[in-house]
Amino acid sequence: MIMLLNECKIEMIRIFRNPYFVFWSLLMPIIFYFIFTKVVDTGVDDQELWNKHFLMSIAVFSVMGSAIMTLGIRVVQERSEGWTTWIKVTPLPSSSYFIAKMVGQSAVHVFSIIVIFIAGIILNGVSMTFVEWVSSAAWILIASFPFLALGVLVGTMKRVDTASGISNIIYLALAITGGLWMPMEILPKTIQLIGSWLPAYHYGNGAWGIIRGQFPEFKSIAILTVYLLLFMVLSIYIRRKQEAV
Amino acid sequence: METIVEINNLTKEFKGKRAVEDVSFSIKPGEVVAILGPNGAGKSTAILMMLGLLHPTSGTVSLFNQKPQEQKVRERIGVMLQQVSIMDALKVKELLALFRSYYPTPLSMEEMIRLTGMQGSELNRRTDKLSGGQKRRVSFALAMAGNPDLVFFDEPTVGMDSTARKQFWEKVRQHANAGKTVLFSTHYLQEADDVATRILLFNEGKLVADGSPASIKQRLLKKAVSFKMDGHFPKEQFLAMEHISDVSEEKGRIVIQTEDTDRVLSSLFSIEMPISDIAIDKGRLEDAFEQLTVEQGVS
Repeated sequence: MIMLLNECKIEMIRIFRNPYFVFWSLLMPIIFYFIFTKVVDTGVDDQELWNKHFLMSIAVFSVMGSAIMTLGIRVVQERSEGWTTWIKVTPLPSSSYFIAKMVGQSAVHVFSIIVIFIAGIILNGVSMTFVEWVSSAAWILIASFPFLALGVLVGTMKRVDTASGISNIIYLALAITGGLWMPMEILPKTIQLIGSWLPAYHYGNGAWGIIRGQFPEFKSIAILTVYLLLFMVLSIYIRRKQEAV
Repeated sequence: METIVEINNLTKEFKGKRAVEDVSFSIKPGEVVAILGPNGAGKSTAILMMLGLLHPTSGTVSLFNQKPQEQKVRERIGVMLQQVSIMDALKVKELLALFRSYYPTPLSMEEMIRLTGMQGSELNRRTDKLSGGQKRRVSFALAMAGNPDLVFFDEPTVGMDSTARKQFWEKVRQHANAGKTVLFSTHYLQEADDVATRILLFNEGKLVADGSPASIKQRLLKKAVSFKMDGHFPKEQFLAMEHISDVSEEKGRIVIQTEDTDRVLSSLFSIEMPISDIAIDKGRLEDAFEQLTVEQGVS
């Protein structure tokens, strides 16, 4: 148990020391938030609601990115450099190593969410009830699991270049079609239709519901669960195939 | 006495090609064993199977009479693989501490630091900022973190300069002197001869010889000069000459065993013996082992 906690701590330290993480998951979303709520006139009717809505969008955007990219690319890197092989011959159980990665990553997500929420309060004086803050943060944390699983799936790739290229494309495509950059309603109809079947929109949708005083839609929960299972099964299948050699 | 390593009929096939074929041996505590062979002889494949990282096609491996994947085994072994990679974004000190935490009876932090050969502010450097040589030393310290009873080094000195090599083997010797078992692979005959107490000679996936460095070396290096000679065979005179290890008479020919055929020939000519029909026999240094780097160059 102490071994596991220690390992989680190490994983967190490593993520925080990664300049890409700090830039993509903390700085970029906050800059985005600043631009789309302070600089650009979005012409929305209810500016206060938009400030809240977009705060959720970028928190989701940040956590989704770090789940897919920070985790996935790191896993590929560690395997391609032989580190994963080395860990296997130490007494550290592979399961602890994996769990530490997930827990460490989630702890970092909690930190990201708090930082971004504070940015919202400072920049726009966003105000919500305590329950709304906590439940939206909890949603963003828990509903990130399908994306962690997607990160693990990215992690089965052989080369770091491929993994980083592909995960970047997936990430940006999901962000746009999921209405995380601009509201779904202003996107072209076809993209809206595609986006409504992809996980990112439902990830955002749950948080957007919570700040409007609604419980996340059942459809969103169902679709995210299906994606979680799909990504898990796929990565287990691929991993088995790779290990069969 | 406990058997540390027990390998029985180990075979590994990759797509129908046999990388390791029917290898059996066992290792006792305190032995320093070199797996010697040219590139592609199956040395790494054998080590990966011993570590439980590759599944054998057939045959069995046991370390400390258990499967290599067992937690109890992992606690007693230390490993340095060919590909040296160290977890990034951590300070040297943090990484050493992390590895110590994996083992029930780790080396002291001071001891680990001594093995890295680093001091002061160097220990606070991030692992990704280290030079190649420093990374090697850190990975060596990590391999020793659990004060292992058995260590595996796969081609440990590739890319090291001669000073680094010397320091490395010095530390390994200290570990072996404490009664620990060491197993390493190399394609340098000299290295195996200098360091090991026993050599397992691999070629084309097979274990072709198993013995003391002296016997293996002789087998690999022995050459012979043979000739016909008229009259009396002055055996004593030959044996007194330099570079000649043995002389015998076989099927009417005199056979001189030597490591240096050129010198022997020049001595023979200089004393003007009545000899004829000279032949040089490269002996048992089979073609495959010409690929073995006999002397380690200063790289």
